[in-house]
Amino acid sequence: MAMAALRREGRRFASLISPRPITAVRSSPLYPTLEDEGPLGLRHISTQVVRNRMKSVKNIQKITKAMKMVAASKLRAIQTKTENSRGLWQPFTALLGDLPSADVKKNVVVTISSDKGLCGGINSTSVKISKGLHKLNSGPEKETKYVILGEKAKAQLVRDSKKDIELIITELQKNPLNYTQVSVLADEILKNVEYDALRIVFNKFQSVVSFVPTVSTVLSPEIVEREAESGGKLGDLDSYEVEGGETKGEILQNLAEFQFSCTMFNAVLENACSEQGARMSAMDSSSRNAGDMLDRLTLTYNRTRQASITTELIEIISGASALEG
Amino acid sequence: MTLNLCVLTPNRIVWDSEVKEIILSTNSGQIGVLPNHASIATAVDIGILRIRLNNQWLTMALMGSFARIGNNEITILVNDAEKGSDIDPQEAQQALEIAEANLRKAEGKRQTIEENLALRRARTRVEAINAIL
Repeated sequence: MAMAALRREGRRFASLISPRPITAVRSSPLYPTLEDEGPLGLRHISTQVVRNRMKSVKNIQKITKAMKMVAASKLRAIQTKTENSRGLWQPFTALLGDLPSADVKKNVVVTISSDKGLCGGINSTSVKISKGLHKLNSGPEKETKYVILGEKAKAQLVRDSKKDIELIITELQKNPLNYTQVSVLADEILKNVEYDALRIVFNKFQSVVSFVPTVSTVLSPEIVEREAESGGKLGDLDSYEVEGGETKGEILQNLAEFQFSCTMFNAVLENACSEQGARMSAMDSSSRNAGDMLDRLTLTYNRTRQASITTELIEIISGASALEG
Repeated sequence: MTLNLCVLTPNRIVWDSEVKEIILSTNSGQIGVLPNHASIATAVDIGILRIRLNNQWLTMALMGSFARIGNNEITILVNDAEKGSDIDPQEAQQALEIAEANLRKAEGKRQTIEENLALRRARTRVEAINAIL
């Protein structure tokens, strides 16, 4: 009687762990490496393998959490600088106007991007807008050239617009950003590149979760004169009497150069802020994903563990019943 | 009637309030600005900016750039600015002496020009302190 009961029990257990059909192996693409087929086509999920995977996911989660905190602290440091530099370019815009619609022959697009990755989509949006500007401004008489700041934009633009690139500058953030460095950079650009209008493409930092790609336009002094004479937004410029220095043209040139370096400074700072903010949110979502993955793996681990215990029990019971019977 | 003065540098806003009168040094000499001045845009030289508030004069050392004056609003954009009260007299004097020594040692046109500028900046800072006294 006891024997029959044991045998029935054995059969009940046996039916519980009947090997799943082999087609199921292909239907779970998430864990292709966790299962290895035994000689009879049975799937054995090793607890060791799941445990290794859990450990590596946990490590990744720790790293992404740490990266998020580092990005947050860097953001705080740059944010005050950025807000202070915002006041600087507004008088220029008030005096000289920001005319993205100015129609000029030689455009130069200054694309500002980050050097390091893992910062979400901000670099791709900058590059997209730069390419859009290039297309808009290329025609029979017009031409557009690129000046690239940062590795990420360089990687993307070198691929298809190699001949249009004038200058590439990388590793901007090795030393903390300050105005002298940026003004030297601006000087280099002004010396080496002929331009009628400079369009700076960067990501403006509006809040920790929102980065708006923006274009700031700086016109060369001749174009400013032309636009001022034709009236419109820049008409007010003529109402100012210009003093100091020999000629109005010289002053305007100095002004344009100063405007360029101030706008560059602001743009570089804003882009750095956006980079840190984007990195914060990217790392945050990957930590969360890692957490979800860890939960799923824990469930699998428990199931595997219980399955192996059940298998052992069955072996013992059937062994025992085989001995007696 | 007062003037609204705003002195900005790339790193921060140095001054933003109302004043009675200012004296600014430009490439072509010093100009005094009273309320209802004509609108001008001018280049600012490396020199001292004097600000008058209620019969008290304050000085600020400016390191060159631009000023825009219009409608009783003055905006001065400079590469660097320091309030006279913020400058340490000893340090400014030392900087002046170092700049003078460098100028004498300078060789080549470019170095001479750079040292000249450094000297003028140091001198401005020293003058800013002296002018208060």
